[in-house]
Amino acid sequence: MSWNWTMADAQALLPLMVVSAAAVVVLLVLACCRRAGVAGILPAGETPATRIGAVLTVIALAAALALLPVAGAAAPRSVTFLVIVDGYGLFFAGLLLSACIAVALLGHSYFRQETSAGGEFYVLLLLAAAGAMTLVFSRHFASFFLGLEILSVSLYALAAYNRASLAGLEAGVKYLVLAASSASFLLLGMAFVYAKTGTMDLGRLAQLLNAAPQPALVTVGLLLIMVGVGFKLALVPFHLWTADVYQGAPAAVTAFIATVSKGAMFALLMRYLVGVNFTLQYPLLAVLTAVAVGSMFVGNLLALRQENVKRLLAYSSIAQLGYLLVTLLAAGPGGRELAIRAAGGFLAAYFIATLGAFGVVSLLSSPQREAESFDDYRGLAWRHPVLAGVLAAMLLSLAGIPLTVGFIGKFYVLAAGVNANLAALVAAMVINSGIGLYYYLRLAIALFTPSRAEPPPRVAIHPAGAAVLAVLTVLLVAVGVYPQPLLRLLAAVVAL
Amino acid sequence: MRQLLWLIPALPLAGFVILALAGRAMPRRAVAAVAVLALGLACALAVGVGVEFVAQGSATQWTSPADGQSPVPAYAWRQSLWQWVGVDGFKSDVVLRLDSLSLVFVLVITFVGAMIVLYSTGFMWGDDGYSRFFAYMNLFVAMMLTLVLAGDLLLLYLGWEGVGLCSFLLIGFWYKDPANARAARKAFIVTRLGDTAFAIGLFLLFTRLGTLDVQEVLSRAAAQWPAGSTLATAAALLLLGGAIGKSAQLPLQTWLPDAMAGPTPVSALIHAATMVTAGVYLIARMHVLYRLAPQVQLLVGIIGGATLVYAGLSALTQTDLKRALAYSTISQIGYMFLALGVGAWSAGIFHFVTHAFFKSLLFLAAGVIIQRLHEEHDIFRMGGLLRRMPLVFWTFLAGAASLAALPLVTAGYYSKDLILSEAWSSNKLLWSAGVLGAFITALYSFRLVGVIFFGQEKTAPRGRTPAVMALPLVVLAVLAVAAGFINVPPLLGGWPGLTRLLEWTLPSAGIHHDVAAEIGSSLAVALTTLAGVAVAWLVYVRKPAWSEAIVRPGLRRLVWRWWNAGWGFDWLYDRLFVRPFVGLARLNRDDFIDSFFDSVAWTSRQTHRALSLTQNGQLRWYAMVMALGAILALGVAIFI
Repeated sequence: MSWNWTMADAQALLPLMVVSAAAVVVLLVLACCRRAGVAGILPAGETPATRIGAVLTVIALAAALALLPVAGAAAPRSVTFLVIVDGYGLFFAGLLLSACIAVALLGHSYFRQETSAGGEFYVLLLLAAAGAMTLVFSRHFASFFLGLEILSVSLYALAAYNRASLAGLEAGVKYLVLAASSASFLLLGMAFVYAKTGTMDLGRLAQLLNAAPQPALVTVGLLLIMVGVGFKLALVPFHLWTADVYQGAPAAVTAFIATVSKGAMFALLMRYLVGVNFTLQYPLLAVLTAVAVGSMFVGNLLALRQENVKRLLAYSSIAQLGYLLVTLLAAGPGGRELAIRAAGGFLAAYFIATLGAFGVVSLLSSPQREAESFDDYRGLAWRHPVLAGVLAAMLLSLAGIPLTVGFIGKFYVLAAGVNANLAALVAAMVINSGIGLYYYLRLAIALFTPSRAEPPPRVAIHPAGAAVLAVLTVLLVAVGVYPQPLLRLLAAVVAL
Repeated sequence: MRQLLWLIPALPLAGFVILALAGRAMPRRAVAAVAVLALGLACALAVGVGVEFVAQGSATQWTSPADGQSPVPAYAWRQSLWQWVGVDGFKSDVVLRLDSLSLVFVLVITFVGAMIVLYSTGFMWGDDGYSRFFAYMNLFVAMMLTLVLAGDLLLLYLGWEGVGLCSFLLIGFWYKDPANARAARKAFIVTRLGDTAFAIGLFLLFTRLGTLDVQEVLSRAAAQWPAGSTLATAAALLLLGGAIGKSAQLPLQTWLPDAMAGPTPVSALIHAATMVTAGVYLIARMHVLYRLAPQVQLLVGIIGGATLVYAGLSALTQTDLKRALAYSTISQIGYMFLALGVGAWSAGIFHFVTHAFFKSLLFLAAGVIIQRLHEEHDIFRMGGLLRRMPLVFWTFLAGAASLAALPLVTAGYYSKDLILSEAWSSNKLLWSAGVLGAFITALYSFRLVGVIFFGQEKTAPRGRTPAVMALPLVVLAVLAVAAGFINVPPLLGGWPGLTRLLEWTLPSAGIHHDVAAEIGSSLAVALTTLAGVAVAWLVYVRKPAWSEAIVRPGLRRLVWRWWNAGWGFDWLYDRLFVRPFVGLARLNRDDFIDSFFDSVAWTSRQTHRALSLTQNGQLRWYAMVMALGAILALGVAIFI
């Protein structure tokens, strides 16, 4: 298969190239800085190198974000048979890049006094970002798997980044083993599908699914792919790793896993499954519905009396992804637009609130001590009133309280579900919103109750992290009160 | 000036907003300045507006309702601010309405309110909640002004409820003592009973008359409902329910004696300028309805007559200075109700004016006494304060004399005499109740004076009365004595200015003056009052032993105690309503519906516990569940 490389192709791929190149650049710069530090040119220690790495990373991510409109000028465009750059992909790439910037800054705050932290965090982050972007732009099994693995492998190292922490190592190993086994399911599924249909092109596959019921081998292959996807999205029953990994990984990395990794995977899933006529693919519909309802109930019920904040947020994210699946099932042949808008709005809201919540956790934590038990948060309103307010706002948004962006997202998902007459799913979602309120508010109330135990030491808040939280909080309220710009953007994305 | 009408309620409201938002950060002097300025300016503005209103009203040609035919007031200013609600067929504007009735109320509220707040700046100086106190006080006055200036019944209701809220906040101002919080709740809940009746009355008026605009309601009611019609009676009764709740009349009077839990200036404000007079205002404002429902109007009079005797006898037996004054307020509002009931509309409002002066004066003086005697409330542990606190003595004496309606020299006499002389030609029974009440009033007023200021000193006062507290006492004392001269009956060679003014709005008593009867009534009132004073003097100053003889064990003591406990209304209501209600609530505590929700919570917790077991941290288990999930999914796919 021959391909003529044109300027337009380069233009379309520019953001992805910037991020990939940045990974290499940062790696080299770190190495040079370290040499310079040894040679006495730079002050000794890792801190300057780390800072340079952080600055370069944020600049690269911001540059990629700024280049998205440039790439958009060439969209929609297929670059080779592997990658497609279109409005849909660009929207999610923007979301992912923004989240990566937030994670980079949160990571910088998290590692503030840690001289041994090194700058590899940023290299891994950039690699993971490149993998995630590849996922949202991919149109082929090969690029799908490639993107997934770039993302996953970076995450193994990121999850275990605190080498001194046993929980961190445990998280890394668990994630590695389980992700590898889920990837084997995924590969087997791809093989089945290719064996029967003879195509590895995702768009073509979606057309086939839409045309007629598929033979059992294709269905089996699709479901095996779903195992891999479900693992990445932490959907029931592939969710068991979530809490352990979320808890063990540094809070900033947890934020990344909860948002970027899941968001990229969901963007890919949505791109090809949205608009599929599920009446023709009944087994798929049944499994996805069961997974969605199961994720809502299991996630929320697991979170109910959870006393560890990171685990609580992990379980909450399981349930949130369950809500998100409703948009996928609600699409059907006619509801593609509404479903994408709903999913985009919900994901944006989920990103803001999740990053904010983990951001607060991250700001209160350090590599030596993760602030994760309820006791760390009890009475936070007196020790860090602003942080407590921010966390409370994020929790209210996750619970879907009006005037926060979470309400807009949830409302759109419900609207999509009602529109598609998914009575059972909508009912499950409403019930689960009620259950969810219990533990979100339980944590929110804990923030304002005097602490019983000796309060943990007051920590200094790093300005970078504080800035991230400020922006997130403003977005949370601003979009919650005035969602029109977000809705317009989503409408434009669907049209492109 | 006319355009500035809205500023009158807006100024105290602005004071409230400033104090609520920034009060905690402001120094005390600034807090005091804001609070006093807000009310002082409102008062000055009210005077300016009033002068212009009266000048224009006198110069304008309009038909006076005094002929008793045109029921709707003819001269009034309206100021429409904005439309509040406007949906299909239902419209409610934020509209202010100034007529002679609301003008009198506005003047009294702002002036007495300003005096009380000025006094409070000294009284509350050492209190932690300084700015909170003045924020509430300003809101209280703002709400009362909204109530009396409202040109729409919905806005009036807003003020009505706002007043209720503020009374709750202020009675429970020292909320750390559960007893105070209980008193605040009691006031709120008891008045709520009346408010509910009021709200139903508003629904009735709106559904039947299609409007809530005061003027429209009155003219449509007069046009559509014949006198004595069921609807008019029902509406008047429901509004009366609201009025007796707010004005603490039988049978909803029980909250007022307990409302003493608040700081003393609050009592002064509640009893004199705001809150309790709202009921009187409501009935006067809706007088057309009561003229259409003569039975209800008679009921108003009967309630007033019964209440004034009941509360007077209770006041006579109190040993707590503030409770005695509280019962005396119930009794004096009873006079106003009696006046409204016999059609002596403007006489009732006149009594409101004089009562506002002397009752606020008495409370403020009581506040000084209590504060300087180390929070001593029991009058029998005071005594002999005449020499130690001469200023307080003279001002208290002025207030008590006015309360007792000492003939000719006090304001209270002129208003009470006017009420009774108009009652004489309308209802002899109510007249006798009023005269009996006059005797009791004189008796308990001078009992207080005698016990507190004469005899032996039992508690030594400390400190001095600051000037900001003394000034309002003196001003109010002058008014308590002299305010009667704004309305001197022609019989005494005076000029009834207030009555003339009020008759721009309210119907004239419409009585053909029977000079002989009037003189007879006046003489009777004067003589009973003097008799009461004399008896009090004899029993409580000259022969204190007699006062102890009264309460010797036996039937008399039982009666005394019964009166002291407010005739057992609290006891009765506790048995009749509170306990059965609490019992029902207790029975219902574990009710069926609740158990359903409990079981939901229980199930959720159990499921949570069971699911938590799956999170055992073992990698092999995690991997196995994943594989099982895949197998399950495949099974579904293949066998479905």
